[in-house]
Amino acid sequence: METSISTCGCQPTPQIHSRRNFLERLGSGFGMLALSYLMDRENLLASPATSTTLVNPFAPRSSHFPAKAKSVIFLFMHGGASHVDTFDPKPVLQRLDGQKTPPSLSNVMLQFTKASEAPLMASRRTFKKYGQSGIEVSDLFENVAQHVDDLAVIRSCHHDGFTHSIALNMMNAGSLRLGFPSMGSWVVYGLGTEGQNLPAYIVMLQGSTKAGPPVYGSGFLPAMYQGTVLRTEGSPLLNIKPPSGLNLQEQRGMLDMLKWYNEKHMETRADDSNLSARIAAYELAFRMQTNAPEMTDLAKETAATRKLYGIDEEVSGDFGTKCLLARRMVERGVRFIQIYSGSGNGPDWDGHNLCDKNHQKMARQVDKPIAGLLTDLKQRGLLESTLVIWGGDFGRTPMTDGNANGGVGGGRDHNPYGFTVWMAGGGIQGGKVIGATDEIGLRAVKDPVHVHDLHATILALLGLDDKKLTYLFQGRNFRLTDVGGDNNLAGQLLKA
Amino acid sequence: MLNAMEKVRMLLGRSLCLLFLTGLFHPEILAQSRVLPEKTAKQILEAHCFACHGAAKMSGLDLRQRDTLLKGGSRGVAVVPGKAESSLLYKVVSGGGELRMPPGKDPLSEADQASLRDWINQGALWEEQSGKRVEPSWWAFREPLRRAVPDVKDKRWISNPIDNFILLTLDSKSLKPASPASKSTLVRRAYFDLWGLPPTPEQVKRFIEDSSPDAYARLIDELLASSRYGELWGRHWLDVVRYADTGGFETDIYYPDAWRYRDYVIKSFNEDKPYDRFVQEQIAGDELWPDTLELEGSYMMPKRKLEHLEARIATGLYTLGPVLHESGLDGEYLRSERLADMADTTGAVFLGLTMGCARCHDHKFDPIPQKDYYRMQAIFAGSQEKEIPIVDEMRVFDYKQSFPKLLAVDDLRAAVERIRDQARKRIIERLEAGLPREVVEANRVPSEKRSPKEIDLASEYETAIGGIKEGAIDAEYTQLEKQERHSLILKIGETYLKTPKRIPTASVLGHADMTPDVYVAKRGDFRNKGDKVGAGFPSVLCDGNDIAESSARPFVPQRRKEFALWLTQTDHPLTARVMVNRLWQGHFGRGIVGTANDFGTQGDPPSHPELLDWLAVEFVERGWSMKAMHRLIMLSNTYQMSNQYDSQNANIDAENHYVWRMNRRRIEAEILRDALLSVSGKLNLKMGGPPVIPPLSSEELAGLKDASQWPVSLDSAEHTRRGVYLYVKRSFRLPMFETFDLPESTFSCARRDTTNVAPQALALLNNEFVVKQAGEFAHRLIREVGNSVEAWIERGWWLGLGRSPSESERQKALQYFREKKETQQAQFSGTAGKPVPPQSLKEFCLMLINLNEFIYID
Repeated sequence: METSISTCGCQPTPQIHSRRNFLERLGSGFGMLALSYLMDRENLLASPATSTTLVNPFAPRSSHFPAKAKSVIFLFMHGGASHVDTFDPKPVLQRLDGQKTPPSLSNVMLQFTKASEAPLMASRRTFKKYGQSGIEVSDLFENVAQHVDDLAVIRSCHHDGFTHSIALNMMNAGSLRLGFPSMGSWVVYGLGTEGQNLPAYIVMLQGSTKAGPPVYGSGFLPAMYQGTVLRTEGSPLLNIKPPSGLNLQEQRGMLDMLKWYNEKHMETRADDSNLSARIAAYELAFRMQTNAPEMTDLAKETAATRKLYGIDEEVSGDFGTKCLLARRMVERGVRFIQIYSGSGNGPDWDGHNLCDKNHQKMARQVDKPIAGLLTDLKQRGLLESTLVIWGGDFGRTPMTDGNANGGVGGGRDHNPYGFTVWMAGGGIQGGKVIGATDEIGLRAVKDPVHVHDLHATILALLGLDDKKLTYLFQGRNFRLTDVGGDNNLAGQLLKA
Repeated sequence: MLNAMEKVRMLLGRSLCLLFLTGLFHPEILAQSRVLPEKTAKQILEAHCFACHGAAKMSGLDLRQRDTLLKGGSRGVAVVPGKAESSLLYKVVSGGGELRMPPGKDPLSEADQASLRDWINQGALWEEQSGKRVEPSWWAFREPLRRAVPDVKDKRWISNPIDNFILLTLDSKSLKPASPASKSTLVRRAYFDLWGLPPTPEQVKRFIEDSSPDAYARLIDELLASSRYGELWGRHWLDVVRYADTGGFETDIYYPDAWRYRDYVIKSFNEDKPYDRFVQEQIAGDELWPDTLELEGSYMMPKRKLEHLEARIATGLYTLGPVLHESGLDGEYLRSERLADMADTTGAVFLGLTMGCARCHDHKFDPIPQKDYYRMQAIFAGSQEKEIPIVDEMRVFDYKQSFPKLLAVDDLRAAVERIRDQARKRIIERLEAGLPREVVEANRVPSEKRSPKEIDLASEYETAIGGIKEGAIDAEYTQLEKQERHSLILKIGETYLKTPKRIPTASVLGHADMTPDVYVAKRGDFRNKGDKVGAGFPSVLCDGNDIAESSARPFVPQRRKEFALWLTQTDHPLTARVMVNRLWQGHFGRGIVGTANDFGTQGDPPSHPELLDWLAVEFVERGWSMKAMHRLIMLSNTYQMSNQYDSQNANIDAENHYVWRMNRRRIEAEILRDALLSVSGKLNLKMGGPPVIPPLSSEELAGLKDASQWPVSLDSAEHTRRGVYLYVKRSFRLPMFETFDLPESTFSCARRDTTNVAPQALALLNNEFVVKQAGEFAHRLIREVGNSVEAWIERGWWLGLGRSPSESERQKALQYFREKKETQQAQFSGTAGKPVPPQSLKEFCLMLINLNEFIYID
């Protein structure tokens, strides 16, 4: 009991009375840092223009310890991809096809399935060893498999939410409940961003998630830390295009007038950094209007690059475009990028019905683009500083889900008790398998890695200590990893 | 209202709480006892330890009696008489081990440590004084006392007692109060503070030109008398109670009647409902003012029933929280989440305490043991949401009488579906004819009986036939079917128009058929049951007894009632303080306690403790009138200061902690929208009713799971109503509001964030709605002052900023218009001669609403 208390964030906090209320609630490490910015600016009252940079909440901040990864690309298979059909081969499951789940393994709560009654279902996929490491990957991901020596395949992930929205909350924000900041928000809150002319945390969706925007929301952190949705059609960012009848040049004229008046207004209010911060925000907004379209314009990418990402093929065009955009974002200093495959209002990986068919279709959309992304990042020397994560809501059950949904059959239910997440880049040593599920792939049994541990690991690769990255809310220092995260894998994953 | 007997009982009755909060343990008496030359061990323990290890029994340790002290707690024996060095108590206060007490505070003085050591070594004896309760040591848990209003040197600065307290502190810190705000600043501040709207040019001018001494006081009275006041301050309250119109998560269920609670809140503020009554209604409206069960057969609601109805709607607070409910989830888990929402919300909103910290373990810094958290949950354990009709019974009968008309609609609908099925069947038959027989047959095998081969075959079937699109079915209809379908659909419409309208209902808190037992959930895990607990109040604030079942007849469950009455006792240490602090925060941007939802030891200490107490006592004595407090605060010179900077003051108090000037504040998301509509002349001041769903651009809608979840209100006049009436969807905040820091509505929000980021600038420059309002603003200028650049500038400044432009500002604007090559005249188009503003004017208007001065209030 003592250990859980000492890590749950109910800690005394220094009484800091800083100017902006969000700074008051920063955790100890960054709070002091932010405070020192403010202290600095107290001496800079004479030149408010300089001081604005000091209160920029997105200014890059130093990490708790040296970082391996500077950016993250989180590839999220919405609905939950089956691990036993992709990255976690289970020979015993193949043998037990059609048989009832052994009682020793069936004491588990699932959404639709009564595990003790549902027959096991072998994978229809062929697994092969790849690379020097010889890690087995199924033919669903034959292109990604070519990179297996760069992947750390964590086969023993688990969490506690077996329906979509709470699992989405858990994987993204470390809590089953609503109202908690997503990982990207925590990262940007902790580190700021390198590229000041684009949003720090960008999300690319196909439609919407089953749990809606809170999945990339900032929860109780200030709203500015939430993920910004980037669209691949029409105008890329919300409100990024000047209204019709106004070009950028004309708008510049209006903005110059605005600036003149705002500076005039500040003449008698020079002490107020909020006012100068707002003037700076308009300048940044203007730059974003040019930079966002430039970033999303793929015209300068070569035909070879487009081919690499599978952009010109209909099946992989959409996801390929998003992967290529992700690389362009990384080049421009965007801190955290998330790409969803599938959505809550269209097809996704939720294979309750004909799981195998579903996964064939979904994997074709992403396999080539992901492989292309890894190749491209590597050849440009970006993979070392970019952490690529592949995962989803959860894995899927080795048994069929009993047709509780009235489908054709051949479906698999949700399985948060054991599933696979892999990572590449960001300084990690590839060609590794971490942990294992039981013989049929139902539960993580060897070296289990809770999602809190996974989050702690990701933060650590970014140079952040999950115990120190805190935010005071409702009397408690909250963190992404709640009371967990003690099994941080970073040490194990990093290159020697 | 409570009858007289009830009131007497409430005041005299049940609790020792009252006893210890008044008479015997007056802080002054305690203070005296603390300055005795030699403090006894008990006095030291009382001052530093009893808060947690007294009635609260944190870690099971109660130091108030010698026997319980010797018994120790969950960490083992606390005191070994004769052996200080082996006594845990001495170890933790002397810093000898890993565990240090008191947590998060300075260690005990060396003298106190020595006293404790000697006392233990001498056998740890003390004289028992039974029956005596101990005054909590934390200030917020003691009754607020009216302090004498302090004398100050500069009496000319004093407008009311608030100023005495403020000035005294300023003097003691060598801070000088800022100069008074100008009249034009003051009038703008007052409008935004009480209405959340900019004053019109006429309103500003009227105030400035009114030189009578009570002009300002009359202005405040006028503003408080308007319904705009309740809309603004109601919205503040809705932040605190985490209001939303849907339940969040994947299902994000719609709460059809949440708006009745929103309207109740606005009405309550407008009527200046006494805060104690306001609290009682929200927590226990149904138990204090239960349905009278009158079955009057008329079309009039019995009067008392109607009054009670309003109080019951107030309990809607507990029916509009976030609700997780998805198939397969454990029922007990879902229930534990709902009870947690109720307890956490109640703690934060009414007590200003972070009760949630005690969900998993004893609160580490406030004397709230885990047990108290579940005692609080138990108050709500037997309560359940109910949907009740809010019309008289005859109207309900009318509805049910006409119900067959609804059946006719169902019937017609079934007929339409039959035609659809017919067409679909033909498509399937055609497609099946083209498939191998085994595929068709495999599909006929019940899905749970299919062999793997049959599953494969069935999947081929599914691929070929599974996804028949609606369009394909539409194309399949024969001419006859089309006609038949069309006429059925028309008939559905006609028939539906004749059906009775849905009976208006309200969602309230009532009682479940049973009241389940509540157990401490060890480590917050509902599966891990600890001790059973009864319903009760936080033990540090009372005697720790359970709420007894009512013996009064007729019987009404009374857990929430007892809680509400206890909370609203006039000497309750928290209720009045917490609310006056919220009011203060609403006027100054920061409360006297900066953490409005945390009056515990981890919250900010009060900047002006005496003032806070004085206000709290004043609040109660003025009949818990919130309007009286607004008036008091706003008539103080403190409130009427300018926000002029002073470097000497800033060197001493950079954060303006001691209020040497007014804080400049950015207006909130809804207020910004209201202000845009106000200057554009399009604001619709209609009040109340179901949430308005405004149109959004397709890019704004992109984050929504299903566009049909955003059915835009049909009547476009609705779209320009005040922000407080817009739809609050938990899984999708209005993008514009979200950008401007609308709080997430999962937890109580004590104070909104204020951020300054580029997406806000983009929203105010490029958002369709904003640009449209800038255009309307331009139209309005032409409409009101004709076709003159000079007049546009003058009127634009007045509408947007409530003042004339300075000469240099005017020149700059004139230069801007001159530089624009296009004509500076409005064109008139169409036969009606509707003016079309030049682009330059629309840009000018857009510029005005983007000014810092537009969004920051001095």
